[in-house]
Amino acid sequence: MVEGVGRVWLAGLLVWAASLMVPPALAAGLGLDRAAFAAALCGDGAAQTSAVETFLRRSAEAEAGDVAWAGTTLRALLDRRLACLGETVVILDRAGAADGLDAATGTARPATGGRSPVLGLRQRALIETASGVATLLTGSSADARKGALATVERRIASVPEPVLRRAAAAEADAGLKASLAAVVESAALSSPDPARRLAAIRAVAEAPSGAAFSRLSALKADPAYGADPAFRTVLDAALARVERSVSLGNALAVLYNGLSFASILFMAAAGLAIIFGLMGVINLAQGEFIMIGAYATYGVQEAIRRIAPAWLDAYLLVAIPVAFLASALVGIAIEALILRHLYRRPLMSLLATWAVSLFLINGVRVAIGSQNLQFAMPSYVSGGVPLYADFVVTWNRLFAIAFAAVTLVLTLVILKRTPLGLDIRAVTQNRDMAACLGIRTRRVDRLAFGFGSGLAGLAGVALCPIYSVNPGMGANFIVDSFMVVVLGGVGTVVGTLVAALGIGGANVLIEPLYGAVAAKVIVLVGIILFLQRRPEGLFAVRRRR
Amino acid sequence: MVEFTRRSFLGTAATLSAPAIIRPAWAADTIKLGCLFSSSGTMANLEGRLNHVVRMAADGINTKGGVNGRRIEVVTSDPASDWPLYAQIGRQMLQQEKVAALFGCWTSVSRKSVLPVVEQNDGLLFYPLHFEGDENSKNIVYVNSPPASSVLPAVDYLMGAEGVGAKRFFMIGSDYVWPRTINKQLKAYWASKGIAETAWREEYVPLGFSNFQTLVNQIRSFAAQPGGQPIVVLTVVGSSIPDFLREFANQGIRATDVPILGLDMVEADLEGLDTAPLVGHLNCWAYLQAAKAEANTRFLSEWAAYVKAKGVPFSADTVIDPMVSAYDSVQLWALAAAKAGSFDVPEVRKAFAGLSFADPSGYTLTMTGENNYVARGVFIGSVNEKQGFDILWQSPDAPKPVPFSPYG
Repeated sequence: MVEGVGRVWLAGLLVWAASLMVPPALAAGLGLDRAAFAAALCGDGAAQTSAVETFLRRSAEAEAGDVAWAGTTLRALLDRRLACLGETVVILDRAGAADGLDAATGTARPATGGRSPVLGLRQRALIETASGVATLLTGSSADARKGALATVERRIASVPEPVLRRAAAAEADAGLKASLAAVVESAALSSPDPARRLAAIRAVAEAPSGAAFSRLSALKADPAYGADPAFRTVLDAALARVERSVSLGNALAVLYNGLSFASILFMAAAGLAIIFGLMGVINLAQGEFIMIGAYATYGVQEAIRRIAPAWLDAYLLVAIPVAFLASALVGIAIEALILRHLYRRPLMSLLATWAVSLFLINGVRVAIGSQNLQFAMPSYVSGGVPLYADFVVTWNRLFAIAFAAVTLVLTLVILKRTPLGLDIRAVTQNRDMAACLGIRTRRVDRLAFGFGSGLAGLAGVALCPIYSVNPGMGANFIVDSFMVVVLGGVGTVVGTLVAALGIGGANVLIEPLYGAVAAKVIVLVGIILFLQRRPEGLFAVRRRR
Repeated sequence: MVEFTRRSFLGTAATLSAPAIIRPAWAADTIKLGCLFSSSGTMANLEGRLNHVVRMAADGINTKGGVNGRRIEVVTSDPASDWPLYAQIGRQMLQQEKVAALFGCWTSVSRKSVLPVVEQNDGLLFYPLHFEGDENSKNIVYVNSPPASSVLPAVDYLMGAEGVGAKRFFMIGSDYVWPRTINKQLKAYWASKGIAETAWREEYVPLGFSNFQTLVNQIRSFAAQPGGQPIVVLTVVGSSIPDFLREFANQGIRATDVPILGLDMVEADLEGLDTAPLVGHLNCWAYLQAAKAEANTRFLSEWAAYVKAKGVPFSADTVIDPMVSAYDSVQLWALAAAKAGSFDVPEVRKAFAGLSFADPSGYTLTMTGENNYVARGVFIGSVNEKQGFDILWQSPDAPKPVPFSPYG
């Protein structure tokens, strides 16, 4: 135990030495010297680091007013709203404003010519944590404090325990108080008190993740693991539990990734399947119909931005019918102008649709430009939520999955339950017989082509939150969609669905093992081998010949 | 609207049947310069800008009386991001159009396809991108930085105390020569610093790849493992960059957790992205738009005015390093031709030694007689909320270029 005492002594000495290096104004009392603190934030990386570290150490006892003030100043620094003019530091309302409030005194001041420091990554991490601590201690709403806790947890090792205790004691929201208590508990992994350590291990295992596993594994090297059987049992159990949860989370992630990729493939291929199955037209412009859908979405966004900015977040939903109609109309126009002359000449229609695709790409490029379009991402498609262990559900992909599911149901309903669907199915099975029965096959062709193009337009809406939107975006999807359609069996929606699930799932399973390049090749080879055996694909439409 | 005439428009549509549509030039008292930049295909959004910059630079020189008493005429083309087409059009430009110099290529793959053509015809190609090095042709002027003066300082910064003290590295790149060579050199560099092989991981994706979900999952689990601060070295190109960044932000990884060093990431890649959750990620180039220099202010306003006057279909307030490098290329060529008093390639090449001028980055760009490499400054940029980069670090001076890497 002598050695342990020595260590405490040494630590005390270090703390004392460190306190000597702190600027005297800061060390003088518990009150924060606002002017010195603000000036340090305007200094170099070392000055910023030492000021913020001092603030973190003292925030457990500092006055609430000081903590809140420091939080505001740190937030301003992160947002580049801090203007440094020599000795004075000014907080601006927005980055680049001409005047603001003096950080130390709160009086209005011009800020022209002020310098806004650029944060290095190390300082940024520290300042994010300190600003989170300030919000956790003094934030007005429970939501803000909850967000701050998430920020603080990222760098829990740099937050002194008393700060967390103070926050937990002051917390009014019951749920948040409980999570704070859990954080305090799990922070004690290296506590000298064995009971607290065991509690900490259990608390860490409560929130399983890859990082938790690493933290716990590190304890295996601890002398207590060999010496103390109780410690070993608890740690082993905790590790086993975390490992189980992480593998389950990973399995869920694979499932989700496969499903989301499949939904994108399905959206891109569904329209193609109908057009190909019905008319035998190999539509190489299908990717560009997707692009038109995305551009229509952009148009809707801009229109809403002008007319009713308050409803901007709803643009993705408003765009659904607009994008469908826009792509469908373009599709019908192309059918009427070009394709109807080329039926029964599949090779010509292939070349013609390729020309159409080049024309559409360049038309958009000349009219709008080739840069990526700027979309305002509504909250329901940006970011994600950690669901279980390391499994994160990203909203944009979930949106695509839901969108694909709804599209699937509607497509099936239209094909199976409406007169148009009946006509389409009849013409697909036997064009001549259907014509003899009085079905106007040309009209059915046109409507079906419009429907298929419209489905591509819907894919455009679903893809806006996931991929960049530019004139060339369609080209990325055409190969994948043809793979899906051919594998699924030409002209069946169910086949398209199964093929999309298969290809999406296979890609996601192979990627982590052999890399993304190999995954593409392996899937392609697999499809070729399958088509050798079964040229008509998974689900062949029965035709009369 | 110089670029989008009916001719070039149809030209793109008829790429297969008539691969090379070059806009002809007529006047006799002019000297021709050729551009090899794609305005269609995956590289269109980035390379397309460079045609206009070359034109702008030529216009500027023409208003001052041209070079050796002759006006510059710029001949543009569209190789459609199709690598063999670069070589074919390059040959036509040199043999039929008799251009005095070529300005072009973005990807290393396109430069490698043009290389034999300029060597056979003893032409000159000014290449405006930073690249993997390990190449030295007397027919190519490497106007940007080799890895030793761009990538290594940036990696050093991230590994140092001023950066994040990076200990582990996840390399992810598009599957072609530039990312593979850069990563090979990086691995050898880390090995020379005594970093164990378990500290890095290498993944490649096909060009134009966009579905980064699984890879970002892998990055998260890589980051969760013990062993020190991880970073991502990103060498994917083209439209894969914004798609990767979006997925990275959506899965909740911040720059303070795992910073990305995007080696091909420019201001134009951030167009259309919500950069608030991406603040802090890094890139490294010989020029950043935020560079504080009088020459930069002049360049930015010249570009804005040019975009407005000519109706160029690109953003007036986005300027990226390769644009400045293309601009520098034209200035370099004009200086050399004026110094040589001739347009013959051997004479111009001899004149390179000792050339220097103040480029928009604020550094003085210099050339020696040793090779066709250029000494330029280095910047490390940090993504900000306004879809641009703030300057985090810049080199005290312009480091001497090292063409052949001692690593790898």
